[in-house]
Formats: sequence, structure tokens, C-alpha cells
Amino acid sequence: MLVLRDLQNQYTKFRLGYLWSLLEPLGMSLVLWVVFSVLLGSRALGLSPYLLFLTVAILPWWWFAKSVNASTRIFRRARGELAFSTLPPQIWVMRTVLSSTVEFLLSLPVIVLAIALTQDLPGMYFVFFPVAIFLQFLLLYGIGLLVSSLSVVIPDLARVVKIVIRAMFYLSPILYSISNIPQSLHSIAAINPLVGILGLYRIGWWPEEHASVIALVISLSVALSLFILGIFTFHRLKPRILKEA
Amino acid sequence: MSIIEFSNVSLTMPRTKRRQGSGRKHRLRRFAGETSRTMVPVLENVSFTINKGDSVAIVCGKPLLRTSLIRLAAGTLIPDSGSVTSTERVVPMIAIARAMGISFTIRQNAYLVGGLLGMSAEELTEKLPAIIEFADLSNYLDRHLRGAPASARQRLAWSIAMAVEADVYAIDQMLVVGELEFRQKCWSAVDTLRENGATFLVSSDGAKQYRRFCDRALYLEQGALIADTTVPQALVLARTARRGPRGD
Repeated sequence: MLVLRDLQNQYTKFRLGYLWSLLEPLGMSLVLWVVFSVLLGSRALGLSPYLLFLTVAILPWWWFAKSVNASTRIFRRARGELAFSTLPPQIWVMRTVLSSTVEFLLSLPVIVLAIALTQDLPGMYFVFFPVAIFLQFLLLYGIGLLVSSLSVVIPDLARVVKIVIRAMFYLSPILYSISNIPQSLHSIAAINPLVGILGLYRIGWWPEEHASVIALVISLSVALSLFILGIFTFHRLKPRILKEA
Repeated sequence: MSIIEFSNVSLTMPRTKRRQGSGRKHRLRRFAGETSRTMVPVLENVSFTINKGDSVAIVCGKPLLRTSLIRLAAGTLIPDSGSVTSTERVVPMIAIARAMGISFTIRQNAYLVGGLLGMSAEELTEKLPAIIEFADLSNYLDRHLRGAPASARQRLAWSIAMAVEADVYAIDQMLVVGELEFRQKCWSAVDTLRENGATFLVSSDGAKQYRRFCDRALYLEQGALIADTTVPQALVLARTARRGPRGD
């Protein structure tokens, strides 16, 4: 299984050109930084240094959006391959998630660059950074299984997912900090699994960033149930996926 | 000794009706319920077993049915009811060439397709020279598939599938394979594999392939298994079925 996974990963290597994976998020965070920090001038949103604050969240966000978007197309693109391949079909989902993960890991130097520019080194809570990466990976795999199998049955799902992703960009603490949300809404906001995960990414620099442990637990359990739901849906729809191939 | 066993297998496959008119018209039609995605029954309560060393021909007028049967045997399709059990590794040779990318080199394609058929990277590295030799593509190894001759795809697909160490080879539509010389090479490879005890499952729309080496034939009609006989008999059945409606 591991060998196969590696193989799949290898294939994606020559499917994608990684030249842009550094420049794209860098450009994005620069634009947002200019708009929200320089032009608007106020530091009301988020925490300082804002450039770093933004970068740390925008890279995982990028990873999330790309992976989920790609998930809607997995089985439409793998049609010919699924017909004869003896590999289990979840490999295709794993491949998509893995390739976006590699892309994310390769874009991490952008954060290093942001640290260098802002001279702000992370504290000891930085250990949660890899934990957040792992959790997000699980979340993405779960969502990938869910979305990819459902979009075989409902082709229109791809459009819906696009809108949901766009909405989640503003509903998640990327441009702003969780502390910008009124205290009473924290546990509602925490239903969004990204809230907890993004909090873990940022905790190294801003220990006050994730307000309550309860919110974190809610976020993570939502992520976990999405994961289980994904696996369940996928296995239910597996015959259908293979038929459409 | 049976290695593949179909018991009461039923299967329906989705089929979209042919699109009529423009995209918008088509969508409107679908909305009004005039066209819909229908499930066509492909197999109904089909049961048979395939023994080790058999060469079985699937004789049937419907390509969808032939392909489905092969995919079921290989496990890349799950039946709606009934069960398919196979104890050995089955290589489905169906439209393998479709998975290749024209912007990859021949070498990359070999790894891609080989991996999809379940070979590991080390295994492939070991077998690559033999595969390329068989496909007669050594001049093109590191060139894009785009620049290789048109038959390169099929040749490569065949060579890789033949290189997989399996006990059952399920071949669909072997007619499409390249020029005469290569075809003969394929046949001799098939023959050596047969002598080594490999099992074959062949489907094609030409009678020649069946006659060539199959010792058993399954004749299917309307999704049901009509006869499990020898090849000449199955072909006679197929011919009468074709002529039947014309009042012959």
C-alpha cells in the first residue's frame, strides 16, 4: 500500500509543475497585505505583524481550497484509468490530497521569508504547527473522499463546492483573528473545522490566538466526523463510482 | 480447479441518452424529464466458473456487456447482486492506452500504466528493458508519446500488460493492435503464457481470434448466459441470432 502511494505520488510529480507554488501564495499574501494593512491603514483586523499573520493562514487556506476543488474532479479525470486499474479507487483521492500537500510543503519557504521580513520568531507553541498540518491532511482526505464520491452522483456539486469554498474564506479567521469575533460566537464559529486548525498554525506566534479549548475540541471533532463521514460515503458509493468510470 | 466464479451476477450500467440539440436545449429537455440518465440492464443472473488453464471466449454482440464482464472478473466493477470471486490476480486489458498521456515520455507512460496495473516501481525498473524490447520502442524511450508512431500506444499497452505476472489475462478487443508483425509477436507471447498455465478470457467482435486458441466459449444474449459450449457452436448461435430478426 505504501509503495503504491509513493508511486502515485511520483506520478503526480510529473503531472504538475511546481514552479508557481512559491510565487502564487506569496503574491496573494502581498496583495492582501497591501490592501488590508497599507491601504486601509488600520490594525483593527488581525494581529501584528500582519504580513506574517496573513501568510501563516493563507498557505494552509490555499492548500485546503486547492485540494477540495480538485476533489470534485478526481473521478471524472480518472475515468479511463479506473476501468482497468486493479488499485483500490481511494488511491486517486489520496493522490490528489498528497500532491496538494507536497505543493503546500514546498510553499512553506514563503513563511520563512515572512519571518525574515518581520523578524518575528515563533515561540514554543510552534510544536503545534506540524500537528496542524497532520490534522489538516486528515480533514482534506475525509473531505476528498466525501466530495469526490458525491460529485460522481451529483455532477452539479462542483459548482456548489466552489461557492462554499469562497464563503469559507471569509468565514474562517484568515484575514482577521479569532479575537475579532465576539466571544459569544466563538463556539458557533468553531463548527468550521478550519477555525481550530488555523488556530493551531498561528499559536506559535500568538499564543492568545485560539481562545478556548472547547472551541478547539469542537473544531477537531467536526473535522474527525467529516473524515468518518467521508470514508463511509465513499464505501457506499464505490460500486457507482466504478460504474461511471 | 475454479479460479473465477460468477454466481447469480446481475448488473446495470448507467447510460446517457444521446444529446439532442444544443447544450441549453439538452438541459431543458432533461429538466422537462424528456431525457434522463437510464440504467440499462447488462447482466441478469449469470453464473459460471472458469477453471485454471482455460481459454474462454466471450461471444456477444454487445461491446458494453463484454467489457463489463471482463471488468467484473478483474474486480474493477462491483455487481449489483450476486458475487464474483476470483482467487488469482486478473489483468484486465481494456483500453489501457487511454490512460497514457501524450506529453509524457514512453518511459513515464510505462511506469504510469504499470503502476496502475499494480506493479511496484522496482518491479517495473527491472522489467522495463524487456517491455520496451517487446514493444520495439527502444528508439523512443525518452521521447514524448506525441512524437512516437501512432501504434506505439497500443504496442506499449500490450507489452506492459503481458509483463504483469498474473494468472489470468482478460483481453478485450484485441483487434485494435498494430501491424501484422507485432500482432504475430503478441500471439506467440500469448501462446507461451498459455503453455505456462495462464488462463485467458477473450472478448472480441471478430471470429478469428476466438477460433485461434479458445477452447471454451460463453455465449450471452440479452444479458443472460445462453450457452457454455465450444467456440464453433457459439459462433453458430451468434450467427443465427443475428439473422433471426430478418426472417432467415
